[in-house]
Amino acid sequence: MNNSLKSSVPTDREVILGILNNSEDTLNKLYKAYFAMVLQFILNNNGDEDDAKDVYQEAIIILYNKIKEGNFELSSKLKTYIYSVCRRIWLKKLTQNSRKAGNITDYEDVLVVEDDVEHHEERDLQFVKMQHALEHLGEPCKTIIQDFYIHNLSMQDICEKFGYTNTDNAKTQKYKCLQRLKKIFFQP
Amino acid sequence: MPATFKENIFSTIIIEMRNDLELDAIIEDYLLGKLTPQETEAFEQLRTKDATVDHKVVSHKVFLHKMEQYAEQLHLREQMDKIHSELDVDALAATLKPHPSKIVQLWRKHKSAIAVAASFIVLSLVSIYSIQHNSQQAEKVIQLSYQVNNAIKTQNTLIRDIRKTANSSLPNKAANQGRYGGTGFAISTNGYILTNLHVINGADSLYVQNSKGESFKVKAVYTDSQYDMAILKISDRNFSNLSSLPYTIKRNSSSIGENVYTLGYPKDDAVLGEGYVSSKNGFVGDTTQYQVAISVNPGNSGGPLLDNNGNLVGVISGKPDQTEGAAFAIKSKYILEAMRAIPQDSLGQKLVSNKKSLLSGLKRTKQIEKLQDYVFMIKVY
Repeated sequence: MNNSLKSSVPTDREVILGILNNSEDTLNKLYKAYFAMVLQFILNNNGDEDDAKDVYQEAIIILYNKIKEGNFELSSKLKTYIYSVCRRIWLKKLTQNSRKAGNITDYEDVLVVEDDVEHHEERDLQFVKMQHALEHLGEPCKTIIQDFYIHNLSMQDICEKFGYTNTDNAKTQKYKCLQRLKKIFFQP
Repeated sequence: MPATFKENIFSTIIIEMRNDLELDAIIEDYLLGKLTPQETEAFEQLRTKDATVDHKVVSHKVFLHKMEQYAEQLHLREQMDKIHSELDVDALAATLKPHPSKIVQLWRKHKSAIAVAASFIVLSLVSIYSIQHNSQQAEKVIQLSYQVNNAIKTQNTLIRDIRKTANSSLPNKAANQGRYGGTGFAISTNGYILTNLHVINGADSLYVQNSKGESFKVKAVYTDSQYDMAILKISDRNFSNLSSLPYTIKRNSSSIGENVYTLGYPKDDAVLGEGYVSSKNGFVGDTTQYQVAISVNPGNSGGPLLDNNGNLVGVISGKPDQTEGAAFAIKSKYILEAMRAIPQDSLGQKLVSNKKSLLSGLKRTKQIEKLQDYVFMIKVY
């Protein structure tokens, strides 16, 4: 079924180097290589396709962050690592939703990845918080901040996009927005 | 941003701290390394002097880092969503979702485990088989011997049964002919004869015939079903007392390997069979019998078993059909027990009192010559 996928499975070294170099091609190959495995696991354990997507992407993010932080040691196959992370995440979700998690159907070996997953959860909390803060910011602040900090637009571009008379005005606006954002973000 | 503007701000901030917005802008420029060396120096001085500014710098740094992470993750998610949209998830899900068949589900689930289990089972089967194969032989011997025992049992009783039926049907078959049913021997000079109970069992009338061909009518005076023995008494006027018995009855038991012989009537003439005591116990460990390696035939039953010195060792009583050349003989001490049942007076001369048998030291041919007058063919009608 996934011959075409399997043929493009990258080696574990390839993946790590690719991630460190922000290679989009590597991400593409990595993503396609192991999605089927996770999909099978989720589908056979009370989940659907969307669950599989969420869990899988979270696992990839965890892998990414771990590699970027430079403390990823390839002590096992990448496949096993991804599977174990997905399994851990899915188990947590199942228990959170108090869905049946009694008999987990396994397809691969499982590693102990609790620490990684917990570490990610903290990070994810920040992510959600930031997302939340941005949502509360309202327009046009949200877009200005996103354009500048996330999409890396220059102040000149932002100035033109929003029709400010000069960049200083735009800057002032940006800092006003940033101040508010910080306020919301750092709110306990 | 004009330099003069920033300198102005520095001076004003220190005093008033009024323009947060402009401070933020400077902090950001500072963190992003956009300030000139002089401006950086001035600002770092400000940081060390003013804790509030320092705090703002740190918090802004943290915030920028968070924003960076957020941007990174968001970017990654967008990328992955794009890749995800390229996948044919439905097709994949169709092949991977739980199969309706439980067996296929189980198979998928435990593919590797099943493989391991299967190989383990094969391995253990092979080893069990080989172990069994090795130990089977010993086991079979036991089983075989057990079966043989069973076979002997059935065969043995069968022989008796056949004899019984043969004996009971004799009058019809050969009424005038008279038919030997076995062998007997004299235990006294005045006509007491000992034989097996199964020889005479169910008989209408009994005759004995000596080696000269003379027949005498007898009647059973004692039967012992426990030891399969019967004592007959010649009640014929023509019978004249025998001369003293040539043999004596052995009180103690014989050892294995002792040479023995028997004289019997498996046919119309007396037949000699020679052999040795092969086992202390008889059929299925029957302690009342010896097993004797001697070839006997139907008709030998009730025949005397004597050792080389002419001592009566036992009475031939049967044989296992499965074992060639083996026979069972009732031990002599049970002959004595049977004889005790007969009034001692009527027996006349006591068999056991003879210290030494007349047969002792004689050649076998001489022994048979002397013996044959005391061994009778039992004819059952």
